[in-house]
Amino acid sequence: MDFLRDVVGDALALLGVFGSELREVLGLTVVVSGAATVIGAALGIPLGIALGAGRFRGRGTLTVLVNTGMGMPPVLAGLLLLLLLWSEGPLGSWGLLFTPQAMIAAQSLLAIPIAAGVTAGAVRALPPDALEQVHALGLTRRARGVVIGREVWPGVVAGVAAAFGRVVSEVGAVLVVGGNIQGETRVLTTAIVQEARQADFGAALALGMLLLLIALSVNGVLTWLQFREKT
Amino acid sequence: MTDLLLRDVLVDLGGLRVEIDRFEVAAGSRLVLFGPNGAGKTTLLRLLAGRIPGGHTGACAYLPQRPWAFRGRAGRTLRLGLDGAAHARAKDLVAALGVEDLLDRPTRSLSGGERQRLALARVLARPEDVVLLDEPLAAIGAADRPRVAGVIIGTLAGRTAVIVTHDRDEAVMLGDEMAVIIDGRIRQRGDVRSVFGLPADTELAAVVGVGNAVSGSVAAGEDGLNEVDLGEITVWGMGELPVGSPAAVLFGGETVTVHAGRHGSPGSARNCWAGRVDRVRDVGRLVEIVVDVGVPVVALLTPGSAEELGVRIGAHVTLAVKATAVRVVPR
Repeated sequence: MDFLRDVVGDALALLGVFGSELREVLGLTVVVSGAATVIGAALGIPLGIALGAGRFRGRGTLTVLVNTGMGMPPVLAGLLLLLLLWSEGPLGSWGLLFTPQAMIAAQSLLAIPIAAGVTAGAVRALPPDALEQVHALGLTRRARGVVIGREVWPGVVAGVAAAFGRVVSEVGAVLVVGGNIQGETRVLTTAIVQEARQADFGAALALGMLLLLIALSVNGVLTWLQFREKT
Repeated sequence: MTDLLLRDVLVDLGGLRVEIDRFEVAAGSRLVLFGPNGAGKTTLLRLLAGRIPGGHTGACAYLPQRPWAFRGRAGRTLRLGLDGAAHARAKDLVAALGVEDLLDRPTRSLSGGERQRLALARVLARPEDVVLLDEPLAAIGAADRPRVAGVIIGTLAGRTAVIVTHDRDEAVMLGDEMAVIIDGRIRQRGDVRSVFGLPADTELAAVVGVGNAVSGSVAAGEDGLNEVDLGEITVWGMGELPVGSPAAVLFGGETVTVHAGRHGSPGSARNCWAGRVDRVRDVGRLVEIVVDVGVPVVALLTPGSAEELGVRIGAHVTLAVKATAVRVVPR
């Protein structure tokens, strides 16, 4: 019991000091996962609405890809991006490997299918009467999508929350394309791996608490958004 | 001129099969699609709305069955799909339909009838010349139906409309012409009162109900009764419409009593007309006769009483109907 008490004590002490290293790691985590979630939502929500309500060729194939993407191992997403960004790879000249941009790209790959899949599920759950009425409004395809998105708003928010939850907690993708470089590409999850490996459990736990805090606050806001609109 | 046309359409939606050789609606007329549940009325309307492949492709204003209540305040959902001019018309219609006070409320807090009126205002305000309505009065209470029907007819002036219903009163109030659809096929088409009055066969008679629907105008009113002038005769029925307004009288063939010869007034019936038998035929267990009393009136008799009365084509008979068996509805 002394061991655990010491670890928790160390963690709380570190959080109390909240040194520059901790602040950097926290900041980069919020930026990288936040940007990836925004990109994932911007591309995934329209994709999900199209998959759920649209009738177009290739819809089935795309649905299978999205559903597979929802369960894609982050480390594999990281590896695929690594191959593209490697110095001899097709996008090697961009020089993005081991940068926050590469980490954002990798996490976006994970966020898009989640946002799309959850949104599509919500749209499919709409009664046929709703889609019939949407079509009867005589709108353009884009405007129809907006109306449908509004109708399934709580589902869309759930998709964004799930996407954020996935990217902020994953370790594989950011580790492979980011490299966990101190002061440059280290985020909460990769830092936890690092500290745990070095048996610095107090620091690892402090980072873990921060991660939980981010997840709690983001989901708190999103849940409030879902509950706010009772109509 | 034809505004709506379908040709050689076959739709099979897993069990429900709709087969149309040719279906057209003249520009500026109002056609009611009438039939039992599951007959294919809505499928045909969705074909016309372009919601099923192979159907009509022109622009139309379309009210689906059970209008969906969109998220948000009623006033906001009223605007969906409408430009400025149409939105202004929609607001006028909302007032005419008596729901203008509800615009600040969330749509989902509204009752079925209120939602229906909101959806009607949004559809009728649209600029398209072709209007397709699926059971427009379905959720509207009986007392409000004449008012809502009046608003609908007013906005349909000069436009081409197809209206789905399985309700007799709704058909009479809203249609000029009527097509009866059974098992996915159009079985009879004609003006509303002739189809109701003279269904082409027993199956159609079972669907439309053997009866009378005749149009005229209100000549008098007293104690919840209206006298409707049909030209050659007048009919008393249950109604409270203002004198001079256009109306239709509805009464079933089974409510008409038939007396041999030309009596004055047999019994207590308020409506009593003499005429000659025009047509006699068997409709299942009963005999249906059509008597020309100035307008054709359909009466149903048991085979026994038909024989007793000596009913045959050309025979003089007197018909009587109690005013309480007649409904007077606005046209």
